[in-house]
Amino acid sequence: MTEDLAVAAPAPATVASPRAGSFRVDAHHGEILQGVFVTDGRLRRGLVTLPCPLYSTRATFLPTDDAGTTVRPAWRSKARRAADLTLGRLGHPVPGGLLDITSDIPLCRGFGSSTADVTSAIGAVLAATGRRLSPAEVGALAVEAETASDSLMYGGRAVVFAHREGEPIEDLGELMPVAVLGFGTSPGGRGVDTLELPPARYTSWEIEAFRPLRGLLRRAVRDGDAGLLGRVATASTVLNQRHLPIPGLDDVLAAARAAGATGVQVAHSGDVAGLLFDAGDPETPARLEFAAARLAALGVTETWQFETER
Amino acid sequence: MTLAAPVSHSVSRSVVEATELPRIIRIRPGFHVAAFGLMKLLPARFMLDRAEERGEVGPGTTVLETSSGTFGLGLAMVCRLRGYPLTIVGDPAIDAPLKRRLEHLGARVEICPEPSPVGGFQRARLDRLEELRAEYPNHWVPGQYSNPDNPRSYALVAEQLAETIGVPDCLVGAVGSGGSTSGTSSFLRMLVPDLTLIGVDTQRSAIFGQPDGPRVLRGLGNSLVPPNVEHTGYDQVHWIGAAEAFAATRDLYARHCLFMGPTSGASFKVADWFSRRNPDATVVALLPDEGYRYQDTVYSDEWLRAQGLAHTGAAEPYEVVAPTEPGGSWTWLNWGRRSLADAS
Repeated sequence: MTEDLAVAAPAPATVASPRAGSFRVDAHHGEILQGVFVTDGRLRRGLVTLPCPLYSTRATFLPTDDAGTTVRPAWRSKARRAADLTLGRLGHPVPGGLLDITSDIPLCRGFGSSTADVTSAIGAVLAATGRRLSPAEVGALAVEAETASDSLMYGGRAVVFAHREGEPIEDLGELMPVAVLGFGTSPGGRGVDTLELPPARYTSWEIEAFRPLRGLLRRAVRDGDAGLLGRVATASTVLNQRHLPIPGLDDVLAAARAAGATGVQVAHSGDVAGLLFDAGDPETPARLEFAAARLAALGVTETWQFETER
Repeated sequence: MTLAAPVSHSVSRSVVEATELPRIIRIRPGFHVAAFGLMKLLPARFMLDRAEERGEVGPGTTVLETSSGTFGLGLAMVCRLRGYPLTIVGDPAIDAPLKRRLEHLGARVEICPEPSPVGGFQRARLDRLEELRAEYPNHWVPGQYSNPDNPRSYALVAEQLAETIGVPDCLVGAVGSGGSTSGTSSFLRMLVPDLTLIGVDTQRSAIFGQPDGPRVLRGLGNSLVPPNVEHTGYDQVHWIGAAEAFAATRDLYARHCLFMGPTSGASFKVADWFSRRNPDATVVALLPDEGYRYQDTVYSDEWLRAQGLAHTGAAEPYEVVAPTEPGGSWTWLNWGRRSLADAS
């Protein structure tokens, strides 16, 4: 599980002995819900991230006397930018540092690899400098570093998150454990550059349709009801079809029903999707197996399984 | 990090915001009602919001609308609070107390004295409205029968039902403009695709294919077919008579202390019937307004006797296979999400 930023900071180190700080962030598996939401009379884009502990990124920040951050590997430049922004936000407690990123998150597939780079880099700088920031402050830095972010700085909580502003819209509560059968939605897993996609333009009806989805998600999280959560995810997936369509969605939905999945979720700007199951149901292992066979019959050869953590 | 939970005790910025949503009340396990104070406040407020956003309404705009019922009242409240002059074109179905209430809210009320030979008072009102459009160059007509913002406004009700009840199996409501039933169900079906939608109409209403004619039960039904009625969304249609609706309205008050109007009684009676036949289903009945307007009518035994309506009517509906098939004062058709052309 993504480490908790609030407790990640160690006791302040002595100034004389700069020490490395390290922070790990899980991948995500797209969203349970993504759309537009009204708060305080304003319409804002927002999403609820589905965490994916299958993969993670670890960042380690070693303070140095050099000005600015050097990142390894050098192409993870958003992580460097995030570290520099964090140092700036903290008033430069150290001039700069060496940032090491190790990650097994597949790139450009909707697993949130660049968001994990950015969030882990922020967490590592905080750990190394013994400082703390609220999740909302981390969100704002993350968006500054890479335009949009996910809500994984809130750990296992279901937060409706304004991903282009880095601000929470509503904290719905602790997300119940969900079992996921993941699969790629484009042949060969070509991937999608999520930031290259134009933001979805929703119709007047769609803008209103996100209200009941949010209403049912509140109830699903409150009751720990994976069945209701699955309905919300399916509705969000169907609404996203007009914006980034999944080929053969009707067949996938039919397979999900046949397998007893609670719903179908997607990366709304990526190319991974998942069939959702109640992790606490003893029937789930058998259903996952059946579902994988149904997907294989549809030509989906590559699938993976994981469970959001309890 | 923990954010504050959504605040349930908060100060509303207006009576509209405070009262536009219904109270969700459980009658018995599996059977709920959504009881509105004045349901039409919600579409009136929402349609005006959207029109303001689009720049169709602004300072100096006169709002024109045809209504003989509660939509006019909702609109008059919203227009008064925002300072828009309002003219309501009605017919003699506007009773004197309603007309006074509209006028107290600053609305000008015009009554069409005679029905049109075809289309009844509805047509006569629409014709007069056309004349008024010419009189007021800077005008806005909400058009509750055809404005898609009417059904869209009910996403808020769908949100409330999803959060409080979860996934209902069946939604029951009276049909007049089609806004509440077509709107709420279209949103709920994102989450509950097999939701059963039951529309409650009355005899001699044209909405679901009966020939138009005089109707005692008002507030539902229509002499014309409103574009906002999405016929292919309805699973069942009921035609209920005035006696049944009035008795159910009184029963709703006497047994459940819910002081509601006759369209609420009609909706409740049909929902109660469906709920008893489907005891495992979660049923929600939309109850559109309160009983105050009907104290001298539905809530007066004397008035009911004078109308010959002081009886409970049919206890069960008679199933018909076509909208025009006779079957007594309460009939129902397994509509099956058909178009009006396919059902007639």
